[in-house]
Amino acid sequence: MIRKILLKDLSLGHRSPLILWALVLPVVMTLLIRMVFGSLFNTEPRLGIVDLGNSAIVVVAEQLEGIQLTFLDDPEELRRQVEEDNLDAGLVLEAGFDELVRSGAHPKLRFWVSGESLASDRIILGITAVDLVRTMSEVGSPVGVSIVAIGDQGLELSVRMLPLLVIMAVAIAGVMVPAASIIEEKTRRTIDALLVTPARLGDVLVAKGLLGAILAVLTGVVSLLLNGAFGTAPLATLLAVTLGAIMMAEIGLILGSWAPDTATMFAAWKGGVFLLLFPVLFTIWPTLPQWIAKLGPTYYFLQPIFELSVNGATLADVASQLAIAAAICLALLPIVIRFGRSMLVGEDKHEQPALTNV
Amino acid sequence: MNWSAIREIVAKDLRAFTRDRFYLLITVLGLVFYVAVFWVLPDTVDESIEMGIAQTGMDAYFNDLTGDAGLTITPYASATALEEAIRTGDGPAVGLAFPQDFITELAAGHQTDVTLFVTAEVPAEVRGALSSMVREMAYAAAGNPPLVTLPSEQEILLGVDRAGNQVSLRETMRPMFAFFMLMVEMMALATLVAAEIQQRTVIAILATPTTVADFLTAKAILGTLLAFSQAVLLMAAIGSFGTNTFVLLVSLFLGAILVTGFGLLAGSVGRDFISIIFWSVLFLIPLIIPSVAVLFPGTAAPWIQALPSWGLVDAIVGATAYGEGFPELVGPLLTLAAWCVVAFTAGLLVLKRRVVRL
Repeated sequence: MIRKILLKDLSLGHRSPLILWALVLPVVMTLLIRMVFGSLFNTEPRLGIVDLGNSAIVVVAEQLEGIQLTFLDDPEELRRQVEEDNLDAGLVLEAGFDELVRSGAHPKLRFWVSGESLASDRIILGITAVDLVRTMSEVGSPVGVSIVAIGDQGLELSVRMLPLLVIMAVAIAGVMVPAASIIEEKTRRTIDALLVTPARLGDVLVAKGLLGAILAVLTGVVSLLLNGAFGTAPLATLLAVTLGAIMMAEIGLILGSWAPDTATMFAAWKGGVFLLLFPVLFTIWPTLPQWIAKLGPTYYFLQPIFELSVNGATLADVASQLAIAAAICLALLPIVIRFGRSMLVGEDKHEQPALTNV
Repeated sequence: MNWSAIREIVAKDLRAFTRDRFYLLITVLGLVFYVAVFWVLPDTVDESIEMGIAQTGMDAYFNDLTGDAGLTITPYASATALEEAIRTGDGPAVGLAFPQDFITELAAGHQTDVTLFVTAEVPAEVRGALSSMVREMAYAAAGNPPLVTLPSEQEILLGVDRAGNQVSLRETMRPMFAFFMLMVEMMALATLVAAEIQQRTVIAILATPTTVADFLTAKAILGTLLAFSQAVLLMAAIGSFGTNTFVLLVSLFLGAILVTGFGLLAGSVGRDFISIIFWSVLFLIPLIIPSVAVLFPGTAAPWIQALPSWGLVDAIVGATAYGEGFPELVGPLLTLAAWCVVAFTAGLLVLKRRVVRL
């Protein structure tokens, strides 16, 4: 019976915008986060160069690290781009510039800085421009600079956003799909029709939960694959995603059983989603006190996924967290049953449907 | 136009909107959440390179540099103390350790060495620029001034100088918050409209002396009222009403009309709540792009400026972050008004078609 209900929901799934959206979401979110956060907080200084005389400086400039170079043909266009803050600074290398420098004529540097550029970028680009010209000096540098790197490289923001991608993918499919499906059955009264068949309410809930969990696993896995973040222990990662999907599906069942209509479901989602999402804030900003993240149930599958995917952890490293996630899933079961039963009671108050026991 | 009937429909819908105490509570919680997030966002822009210096006999040089807006210099007694401060995180992320006889050695024509300490997070451009700075200092101390004549600050700087007065992330996020609020109300309106259509209460309404035009006007007023009031409330809570209150109110009012148009469209096209979310999100994605685009420096691409919500975002940023008034913002406001006409007309036409066909 569970299989029949599940197959019915899956066969109707392609007509549901929400299911389509749940499947499309991981791709959209990945693209957005890669595009927006991949560069938003890691902006490199932007230098435009117009080379009017095949200057040797250009060859050196092309090897600069951490500076976005743009080559333009027209000095006026460069000036406009700098003025509009599309570039932080602009350098014009006039025809014969190299010869003038080598002859010791100290030509005037044609260099512009955008008024809206950061003060630190102005310093970086200004010093860089002067140093680029210095590469033509016949006098060798009188100083050697030894760079001593201290500590380990931190994670990029786009990597720290991985739990956000996973929770969005798993939660949308896991919570919203079963919740919306139950509410749709309730509002269209097809649940009454279902329950006059040998199907028990428990079968309906399990089928709806399975639908959400399967989709959540699928979208979670797709999210991880898109981000190349399945880690070195893929089975452990899959286990963590599955536990997350089950947890979300249970929350979806509770929400669907409780909410009388989709408007209330959406309102509850709007208000409650923060409780599901807040642990990801602590991965994005690792300097925040990490113990707060542990108060969120989603932490116990998100953190293992993060550790497995990014930090190369093994199943043994995250076993205790996954055990807590499994315990939360078990603890949610009586609540799912209770809300499922209350759904029947609620229906009974208004109608007299022929409902069977859970 | 039967204004009495319109008033009654608006009042009925407002009652329906506010009757559900849970929905109301969640709406308030959502508002509180947006406000809380806004106030925890950084209100300043860190545009300074914080650097530790261990040196002797070079005070005059570094005193000059300390006045530079893009550099913050902290002196350390020795290279060891500097390295330790960086290693423990008590000091800056980058530091320069000069040998004791740096100037003397260079003046005597001897080669010398400087150590640049950096944490792993320090970007390549900062490492490169500080190495360049040390080299230029050394050249100057060795009697080799720059190979070019540097232009004056007035010649270099293009546009309004915002060094030390950059627009913070918090300021640039204002339009996004306002837009999210407007979009939520768009969905609320779409839900109310769809409910009228699906439950066919619109037929009952039209059986009274109320005309289709009255019905459409009532929905339009309700949508604008809901969106405008909540957007104003949010903007007030995040302290957006300063010197340009009126221009901001006009922007929000036009924004409310714009999203009402899209809300009517989504409500007319969507068959149930889930499909309304689907259609709303389809509208949301292109409409949200301008509010993301303003987070980046520079001028937005022409296709972004052609999107319906660009005028709203441009006007909000102009009024709140740059203190611009009507004369400066007349262009974006007129563009926004034109899009309002398009969206509103489209929404009304589609809704009218649905209502008439019932």
